[in-house]
Amino acid sequence: MDNADKAVQNTKTTCPYCGVGCGVVLPLAAEGTHLTGPVIGDKCHPANYGRLCVKGSHLADTLTPEGRLLQPIVDGQETSWQDATQTIADRIKRIVSEHGPDAFAFYLSGQILTEDYYVANKLAKGFIGTANVDTNSRLCMASAVVGYKRAFGSDTVPCNYEDLECCDLLIMVGSNAAWTHPVLYQRIQAAKIARPHMKIVVIDPRKTATCDIADLHLAIAPGSDAAIFSYLLVETARRQQLNQDYIDTHTEGFADTFSQAQVFTGNAEFVAQFCQISTLQLQQLADWWCDTEKTITFYSQGVNQSTTGVDKSNAIINCHLATGRIGREGMGPFSITGQPNAMGGREVGGLANQLAAHMDFATSGAIDLVQRFWQAPNMAQENGLKAVDLFQAIEAGKVKVVWIMSTNPMVSLPDTQQIQRALEQCGLVIVSDCQANTDTSRFADILLPATGWSEKNGTVTNSERRISRQRGLLPPAGNARHDWQAICDVAKKMGYHHAFDYQSVHEIFAEHAALSGFENKGKRDFDISYFADIQQTDYDALVPIQWPVTKERPQGTARMFSDGHFFTPTGKARFIPIAPQLPIVKANADFPYLLNTGRVRDQWHTMTRTGKAAKLLDHTSQPYLELCSQDATQLNVREGQLVRVNSELGQVVLPVKISENQRQGQVFIPIHWTSQFASAAVVSSLIPQIVDPLSGQPESKNARVSIEKIANLTYGFALTKQAIIPEEWLYWCRTPIDQGGQGNEGNKNSHSYDFAICMSETTPSALVKTHLNQTHCLSEESEKSEWIEYKNPVNGHHRIAYLHEGKLNAIWYFSPNPDLPAKNWLASLMATNNVLTPADRLALLMGRASATVDKGATICSCFNVGEKQIRSAIANGYNTATALGQQLKCGTNCGSCLPEIGNLLSQTQAKSQTETMKMQDAV
Amino acid sequence: MNHRKKSVHRQKTRTLAIIGAGMAGSKLASVLAEDKRFHYRIVLIGAEKRAGYNRIMLSSLLAQDIDVTQMSLVDMTALRRAGVDTITGDPVVDVITETKSLSLQSGRQIAYDKLIFATGSTATRLPIEGTDATNVMCFRNWQDVERLSALPENSSVCVIGAGLLGLEAAVGLTKRGHKVTVVHRASSILNRQLDAAAAEMLQAKLVEIGIEFRLGVRPEKLLWVQAEKHAQVELAEPLVNRVQLSSGDEIATTLVVMATGITPEVSLAKQAGLEVNRAIVVNGYMETSQADIYALGECCEFQATTFGLIAPIWQQLDCLVAKLKDDTQTMLDSKKACQTYLKNPQTRNHALTKIQPTFQLEPIPTRLKVSGIQLFSVGDISRLTEHDNDENSTTAQLYQNITLLDKGQRHYRRLILEEDKLVGIILYGDVSDGNWFFSLLQSEKLLTESLDTLIFGEVYNQDLLEKITSANRQNENIKTKAATPEKKASHS
Repeated sequence: MDNADKAVQNTKTTCPYCGVGCGVVLPLAAEGTHLTGPVIGDKCHPANYGRLCVKGSHLADTLTPEGRLLQPIVDGQETSWQDATQTIADRIKRIVSEHGPDAFAFYLSGQILTEDYYVANKLAKGFIGTANVDTNSRLCMASAVVGYKRAFGSDTVPCNYEDLECCDLLIMVGSNAAWTHPVLYQRIQAAKIARPHMKIVVIDPRKTATCDIADLHLAIAPGSDAAIFSYLLVETARRQQLNQDYIDTHTEGFADTFSQAQVFTGNAEFVAQFCQISTLQLQQLADWWCDTEKTITFYSQGVNQSTTGVDKSNAIINCHLATGRIGREGMGPFSITGQPNAMGGREVGGLANQLAAHMDFATSGAIDLVQRFWQAPNMAQENGLKAVDLFQAIEAGKVKVVWIMSTNPMVSLPDTQQIQRALEQCGLVIVSDCQANTDTSRFADILLPATGWSEKNGTVTNSERRISRQRGLLPPAGNARHDWQAICDVAKKMGYHHAFDYQSVHEIFAEHAALSGFENKGKRDFDISYFADIQQTDYDALVPIQWPVTKERPQGTARMFSDGHFFTPTGKARFIPIAPQLPIVKANADFPYLLNTGRVRDQWHTMTRTGKAAKLLDHTSQPYLELCSQDATQLNVREGQLVRVNSELGQVVLPVKISENQRQGQVFIPIHWTSQFASAAVVSSLIPQIVDPLSGQPESKNARVSIEKIANLTYGFALTKQAIIPEEWLYWCRTPIDQGGQGNEGNKNSHSYDFAICMSETTPSALVKTHLNQTHCLSEESEKSEWIEYKNPVNGHHRIAYLHEGKLNAIWYFSPNPDLPAKNWLASLMATNNVLTPADRLALLMGRASATVDKGATICSCFNVGEKQIRSAIANGYNTATALGQQLKCGTNCGSCLPEIGNLLSQTQAKSQTETMKMQDAV
Repeated sequence: MNHRKKSVHRQKTRTLAIIGAGMAGSKLASVLAEDKRFHYRIVLIGAEKRAGYNRIMLSSLLAQDIDVTQMSLVDMTALRRAGVDTITGDPVVDVITETKSLSLQSGRQIAYDKLIFATGSTATRLPIEGTDATNVMCFRNWQDVERLSALPENSSVCVIGAGLLGLEAAVGLTKRGHKVTVVHRASSILNRQLDAAAAEMLQAKLVEIGIEFRLGVRPEKLLWVQAEKHAQVELAEPLVNRVQLSSGDEIATTLVVMATGITPEVSLAKQAGLEVNRAIVVNGYMETSQADIYALGECCEFQATTFGLIAPIWQQLDCLVAKLKDDTQTMLDSKKACQTYLKNPQTRNHALTKIQPTFQLEPIPTRLKVSGIQLFSVGDISRLTEHDNDENSTTAQLYQNITLLDKGQRHYRRLILEEDKLVGIILYGDVSDGNWFFSLLQSEKLLTESLDTLIFGEVYNQDLLEKITSANRQNENIKTKAATPEKKASHS
């Protein structure tokens, strides 16, 4: 390896977003302080082979200093790390000595690295003596974990990504991979093009972007998934497609499971009715399932976030066990995790119902084993509190100190109001985060500045058990430190110096690897003992590898259970009898709509990072309530109008998005928008704390709501160079303004606000005045300040621009309807920060330059290609995605927009077909 | 046959006399003289010593934006060479229609076959004390400019009236270094062309130049002093030196310029027995109440309207020229028609329009001829904006105003709409879209679909003119079709 290769190697890292875990390359400047361009895909990484989604492509945009927490803050006062960690150590010790170890809790995140997880888990479970270590992974894949453990005796993902490409039938359940795992979706899509016989089935109440590649879409009743797989089990037997050999040799409990399935799902009609689909569709799925040996069932949050999430997982696994479709190429039950390191957390045991290294408290001898390995003085003896229970215990005063790391429970946990009560009540809230202001950080007594992606250093594990390095390539912002350092500092100050005295992060990884192999002897699936003595150099050069990695398998393990051996006491996989159930919460007269939740294409979690990248807000800039046109008609709302969405617990205010992808009576709200970005859009505030009794995972995709239209509003947007405090607006949503990557010094706070105000409460002019008072513009008003105003009483449009020294400083558009023009051009004017030309001054209140063509809604965020451009290119004969890509570049970078481009293509084709038919009719 | 031959013979010796060698008169002479098929002998008679100059440019001349060489409208030498008999400084004092002859001040008699009144107008003087003093003048002709140009440096001048002419005079005088105060009766300047917002911007600009304004006040008296105290003005008669305002204030001044409007010059016409209302009444051919006598320009009145701007006068001229050239063949017809029209004006269209182009009233855009100031105004602005500050008035509800105001650049656009048709335009600062808006106004088409973008001008409304014209035409077709069966039904 020559120096150049080394240099490249050393700038490789892993994307911090979803569970696909793509390899990326950072274009690091020679001096190592900043990036010189966009992040690109790592062609060598087996997760993505160079591909990237739109979020990954814009990673560089998120590495801005804006909003970063740079200094520890204790009780509102900035302080040193020395003081902060001492204070934490003292307070934890005092509280634990007064109230016992269970008065302490960690609430961690699938965003932190395995090494961070490891020391947190070790400190709590071995030294403080509590298993109150839970994580936001609870909200993401806890049900899948329990499902695997019930069936396999271990939390083992059997498959890998290549299986997705060589299967002949892919059943995607509760997954909108096109948006949530875009690179896997791209791989699947490419495989389907290469192998056209490959069938894809999507099971999802919503018609999502993923359905674009589906041969069959089952728009089932929310939560009815298990019935489908119960039916498949029965139907497999009826058609004599069971793998009796496999059942006999490698499994147990088939008979009970099968009879339970038969009782519930005796006939297709009943199942079809239960799932609200046609029997024809159900039969089609059964035909394909029975005929296709190489079948993958690919499942995600739609299965997991449910009161019966574990049962759904096992219903799926049952089918694979009954056909022996597991442990071989192109088949298996494949749970896809949401977060970059949910898997790493699971490996460490960083969940309240795990001990460590894939051992549970209930695992015979495990507590003793771990105690000896850690030389731990205070071993926790039993399961701790899972996320929802934990926050209830905090509110009840049982848990008195919580250390929240890299997660935002005020947004992500159900019943925001309860979480707020808990945090307000809690004696000591410690928050480690890279952002200063989050919905959660405002409740912190102690704030610790954490290193962020590109600064932090360690490993993560993706959905196919592949361990990759997240490298610390850029220097930490301000006085930010790694989470493991913060934890170890506190641990040492609590008196556990010997156990937490790591000089470097690779020592933690080595210890974690050693524990995984400690007295393992093949008893535990998770074993990376090959790395038990890893040195700094090898750790830094670590290439992505799938566990287990042992002396016998130094290259890692592509596929699990190939030998039919499982990690149950008997070594056999277990069938689990399943009684399919619908969600507990059902619509009623007061709350007649069923609410579903999920992600949008270009955002990640609570937007602390993606919310900084203006380009990532082009595709979807505002939160919304999606509903079908019939429901919209009934509610008398039009596209973009505001509605109030109420549940028994809370309320949000959102603009309406009408789409035929929703079924009548079902609505959808994205999960991302927090109080930092919108007025009242936190969907968790509507969701009850109802959880799966086995996994503790909340049913976040199901709530009942009522919807009411809000009338007499003035809609508008504002683009300002100064941050506004939009307290008095009924609705607002803030997005950053694209600075064109230049990072113009004066424009750090340039933001765009979409808003709505009550006509009766304020007027546009009054609102503008309030803003200017807030931003102190009025006090600066001088000859350098200029106003441009447009009033059109015919349509009620009112637009005001404020210029300073001839440059656009702030601009407001108002309308009685949500029919405001696109802001892109205005935002670009604000970003370029030039003295405006006379033509621009005229165009300001028109919203677009006269010469510019209206591109339409952004489809391709990478190259900023709009819908109208694509439509016109299609009309000009560029009628394939490839041709469009060559012409407009759309879809040629990250490819996240390819489903939508495909949609536009098929719409146009359908239209031209209709026209042809009409013409033929006419002839 | 006989008759026609006789006519042709007579043409060679027939005379067309034009009273007034201002813009309309001299231009008419020039156009007719250039036309080889027009066989009249032309006599052009002007009261002023100078003839054929471009009166519009007087303000520019005063402001020294142009020099005297740029004042010419008609080349008088060429005119004479073409055989036109040009008489200047010798006003017509009598018109004897019975004998078809004119008497000039010099005593000269001129016989005519056809007579054109192009007597123009005179500036109006306010009927107040002191109005006839020698240092109270109007701003109307070249001589006035010469007088104003000869003022001693740093004189104080009071301009009464902030209309187009008054403001142009004020700017010209200011540019010559004089201290100018403009007194205006209305509360905002140029109130027949601008609304308050535009007027405010214009006023701010003029104040920057150095002009002072006293608005919302009337001059009550022009106060006198003895002549000898005004050594610098070589006049024996007493001079005014102060303007007393209705507010009670007095303004000290060396000279007063009255720019309070114009009055059509009709004394000769009245004396000749022509039908005169505010001005000489004409029809669409510019024919007066008497055969072979025509009128055009500021001295004529068409459909109760008189004229002060040049654009319609050139249109009148075109109509008149067409009429005169075609006269021989259609003399009988038109005479009949003319008589019919004068008795019953509603019949005009039926009787005349098919024969030749006739003059029609059209809205006219106004511009201020001051370099560095761009304004454009169309429509009856004072009427359309009279209820601007009264939100409850019916006028305010009847008209809709779309506005775009860039105070910093002093750019302002206001479009006044009535039932989705454009009826008024005020542009200040950036007038580049003026003509485009004006075309939309002239089209009288519904602009319903374009009101969101209209005020941003042509670049944002490409092809709008074409589109609305064709769309409205289709609508009209549909209406006509729909209406036809009803008509039939009612007939049966």
